[in-house]
Amino acid sequence: MTAKIRFFARFRELLGTDIMVDVDGKTSLPDLVKQIAAKNREGYDAIFDEKGAFREFVILMQNGRRIETTEASAVMVADGDEIAVFPPVAGG
Amino acid sequence: MMTVLSDRECERYKRQTMLFGEEGQERLKKAHIFVAGAGGLGSPVSIYLAVAGVGTITVVDKDTVDQSNLNRQILHGQADIGKKKVASAEEKLTALNPDIRVTVVDTTIDESNAARLVGGADGIVDAMDNYPTRYLLNDIALEKKIPLFHGAIRGFYGQATTIIPGKTACLRCVFPCAPPKEVFPVIGATPGVIGTIQANEVIRYILGTGDLLANRLLIWDGMCSRTEEIAVARNPRCPACGDEKSKKIPEKKQDNLNERKRR
Repeated sequence: MTAKIRFFARFRELLGTDIMVDVDGKTSLPDLVKQIAAKNREGYDAIFDEKGAFREFVILMQNGRRIETTEASAVMVADGDEIAVFPPVAGG
Repeated sequence: MMTVLSDRECERYKRQTMLFGEEGQERLKKAHIFVAGAGGLGSPVSIYLAVAGVGTITVVDKDTVDQSNLNRQILHGQADIGKKKVASAEEKLTALNPDIRVTVVDTTIDESNAARLVGGADGIVDAMDNYPTRYLLNDIALEKKIPLFHGAIRGFYGQATTIIPGKTACLRCVFPCAPPKEVFPVIGATPGVIGTIQANEVIRYILGTGDLLANRLLIWDGMCSRTEEIAVARNPRCPACGDEKSKKIPEKKQDNLNERKRR
């Protein structure tokens, strides 16, 4: 059972993208993203705050459906899921 | 306004009236677009709207041209340093196309003047560099029921979406929280890509042709030359366009609202 994590923009620079991970159906969305992000401190810090919560501007999608970051811990990652983690940009 | 095209205009727009006819060109001529910002995004947006023949373009910016702007803000050149960006913009846009009307305002867009500045424009282009002003433009677009053409960039990355009030997610549905403020790195080609996409959206909105970036967030990854899309949807609990407008705004976001929370 695998899921695919897609990072975008700066997250992608720091962590890569289209990462396939084994899932058992019991891993929550934040835990899975944390597990992947843990390989790069800067990448982890870009996505999560000191308390390990998603930074408030991070956009999370599961199979194209938006997941509120504050509600993500109740969401389990299932076989075949595609998870997207996106940082909006602000410049003009 | 008379919308009959002059001989010069017919000649100028010959290669695009092949696409949408003189009728389409007249639509462009009748349109009035408000461009918020004359910087990295505002430059390509206003240039392409001007040369396409959008009849009235209003450009608002508060800044003065600085040397460090010139790697990306292609409305301005070495000789414009120290000039007001809107003065430089007016000069360049009029020189590119004297058959359109360019109006400029040298001011900071804020809650007190935004609705008046936008006036009767048919659409707002978001060429800003900060979310508080973007959220304000979003509110004005919702109020006036006119589209907001969003774009934003950083480094080699950019994003764009087109907000049609009542039909699509609004800016706050898509981005409920602003990313942190920073002096952002940027290569000029990035706002070139995103600003050109915004201009293309505006043109097709006016012409009523093709598929807009409605409920679609386009993401440009200039590091690997890839565009991707994220589907977005209205948030029924959105504090800006939600059903109840019950202002379920988290503490932190109050910062961005300034004094606007009592609206």
